Amino acid sequence: MTSSFEQMRANVGKLLRGIDRYNPENLATLERYVETQARENAYDLEANLAVLKLYQFNPAYFQTQVTSQILLKALTNLPHTDFTLCKCMIDQTHQEERPIRQILYLGNLLETCHFQSFWTSLEENRELIDGITGFEDSVRKYTQVKVWMNKYGWTENDEGQIFIFNQEESVKPKNIVEKIDFESECCHRNPSHISHRVFYLFLYLDVKAEYSHTSLIVFLFTGVSSIMATSQ
Amino acid sequence: MVINVCSVHFQYDPYTYPNDYDLHTGDPKADLAYERQYEQQTYHVIPEVIKNFLQYFHKTISDLIDQKVYELQSNRVSSESIEQKIYEIQDVYENSWNKLTDRFFKNSPWPEAEAIASLVGNGECIGGPTLDQRFESYYNYCNLFNYILNADGPAPLELPNQWLWDIIDEFIYQFQSFSQYRCKTAKKSEEEIEFLRNNPKIWNVHSVLNVLHSLVDKSNINRQLEVYTSGGDPESVAGEYGRHSLYKMLGYFSLVGLLRLHSLLGDYYQAIKVLENIELNKKSMYSRVPECQITTYYYVGFAYLMMRRYQDAIRVFANILLYIQRTRNMFQRSTYKYEMINKQNEQMHGLLAIALTMYPMRIDESIHTQLREKYGDKMLRMQKGDLQVFEEQFSFACPKFLSPVVPNYDNVHPNYHKEPFQQQLKVFAEEVQQQAQLSTIRSFLKLYTTMPVAKLAGFLDMTEQEFRIQLLVFKHKMKNLVWTSGISALDGEFQSASEVDFYIDKDMIHIADTKVARRYGDFFIRQIHKFEELNRTLKKMPASTTTAAAVTTTARAV
Repeated sequence: MTSSFEQMRANVGKLLRGIDRYNPENLATLERYVETQARENAYDLEANLAVLKLYQFNPAYFQTQVTSQILLKALTNLPHTDFTLCKCMIDQTHQEERPIRQILYLGNLLETCHFQSFWTSLEENRELIDGITGFEDSVRKYTQVKVWMNKYGWTENDEGQIFIFNQEESVKPKNIVEKIDFESECCHRNPSHISHRVFYLFLYLDVKAEYSHTSLIVFLFTGVSSIMATSQ
Repeated sequence: MVINVCSVHFQYDPYTYPNDYDLHTGDPKADLAYERQYEQQTYHVIPEVIKNFLQYFHKTISDLIDQKVYELQSNRVSSESIEQKIYEIQDVYENSWNKLTDRFFKNSPWPEAEAIASLVGNGECIGGPTLDQRFESYYNYCNLFNYILNADGPAPLELPNQWLWDIIDEFIYQFQSFSQYRCKTAKKSEEEIEFLRNNPKIWNVHSVLNVLHSLVDKSNINRQLEVYTSGGDPESVAGEYGRHSLYKMLGYFSLVGLLRLHSLLGDYYQAIKVLENIELNKKSMYSRVPECQITTYYYVGFAYLMMRRYQDAIRVFANILLYIQRTRNMFQRSTYKYEMINKQNEQMHGLLAIALTMYPMRIDESIHTQLREKYGDKMLRMQKGDLQVFEEQFSFACPKFLSPVVPNYDNVHPNYHKEPFQQQLKVFAEEVQQQAQLSTIRSFLKLYTTMPVAKLAGFLDMTEQEFRIQLLVFKHKMKNLVWTSGISALDGEFQSASEVDFYIDKDMIHIADTKVARRYGDFFIRQIHKFEELNRTLKKMPASTTTAAAVTTTARAV
């Protein structure tokens, strides 16, 4: 059974092609599509941005309710910067209207990781997220930084603070090794001479003894003699 | 299928307009102006495309004369280059000239000599164009695009790519200029305001979009690009029009035009999306007009910056700044172009400075040096969290944002035209403020490897609670969406290639620093070049001494 979201998505896709996306007559469909996303916990950034653009071109058609839904849906896609993209397309005057102003405030709390304040604030304004299925779950996923921690164990203590464990494997001092492929680096400087020969300059240097890397300086340079030989 | 680019009404199907170029709209004022355009004896408004044509023509003839003089002075016989020049002039005169005359000067003579003289002597229009001029320019463009899009079969015009780019570029520039102009009602006469009020269609955003989209569609440029990047032959999908260079290149430049237009309206997602079939990192047959490349990278870089894709923004800016550095000598042709590129060069340095402050990473040494020279001081202040410097940099370097909406002429307050810019600035400033502490935290993190969280919080003058929150913000903001593969510049995966990374184990913070090994590569490359120079010099010396000297030099260097 295809949800109405799936059914609409194909249709909306057509509307967004070419010059049709600027036709205000398509607003009604696109607005219904936003509503569907909210209800069915689905998401389509491009379509939502198209709605905001139509509001931008046709201020008389602006709808606070739809804009609010779009912003809330954008928050469910954190850590993507959809929320920022939406802000760039909403007029200053509208940003100060309720409930958009509240939603922007909530967004700011999430972006600055003030999660406790966020949940408290949300409790006081529960009606904001009416109709947005799965909003809290999505946000919770973001705050629990699952995206970052999926390989490692993470736990949450009573206060909802996140402790990041067992990062030893991934968070290590990095040593940037310089590897030069003469084909690419030198080509633009002096194509005629070196491009047809491939040299590798390999240098490995380590300074963090406590992590038990062997300090090893290997120096391979096969260049000068060959150049001299072929130039004669 | 007829596309009347100047009157886009969504109430009717735009494709069923009567088939003519005649722009008699039924509005008496507009019609009168239209008639005037074809009746006047002296023609003050010279469309940009004509300007370019005249400049090109003038240059070709000048070059020819110079060449001839040189030849005579050095007593040489007519060379091939002169033949080539003559052929060029003939071609220009017979073909392009006639077509342009046909299009623009059917019923009136070409502009008087004085008008042209000022052009090719690099004279400039002072005081900015008047409302009438803007109006007529709009109709000239409509004429041109209607002709190109509505011809029965591809228009028999062969114009250099540079011109085609200029046409699109100038078209959008004039739209931009007009949008700003109409918002500033303070110094306008009643008559002018009345005229604006009665002609909302002039330089209407829908018309501009319509032109660009129509050119994209007509040329099948997206399909062509898809096939091209997958190694196929674009001609197979080009279609009747797209096969011609005129349409293909106009289609391509229109994509860049859309990138620009969407950026000016604050729609960064759509801006990058329209380029989804263009591989930005590859040189292609489409990327030969330098101004087009520079404009493309500027807007893409800016969009990335606003989307908080700092790594991508830095990569893009560094690339194009290198490109400009290398091709600087080519831009002597016309003064105003050179200045424009200079300006964009400066702006991109400014944007790069911002991006590197938010997201320090290694970039090309020569660009980094240049950046430090220009913005070293400003970058230091930004690192200390000086919001004002951020805003100044942004104001200098950002595009000239505009509103697509016709203002309410009865009620326009003095700073109305600045609102679009203020809006984007606000979003940017908020982002900067959210990241205000991160620079300081980063510098502290670099000093230690392990430390109790509470202690480090103390050093930073924060409560432990607040510090832990800031560490989360650090992790969050330093996680960028980064393009790694695929064609579309929108693609990307989350990466955290921050210079400094850390994890927290109960009450201790463990910090990992990224150490960059000394760069020996550059040093050796330089030495190799020196040796080659030396070798070349030595070879010119008497044979017996060469080998011995070379061997000695090698031994010494290694």
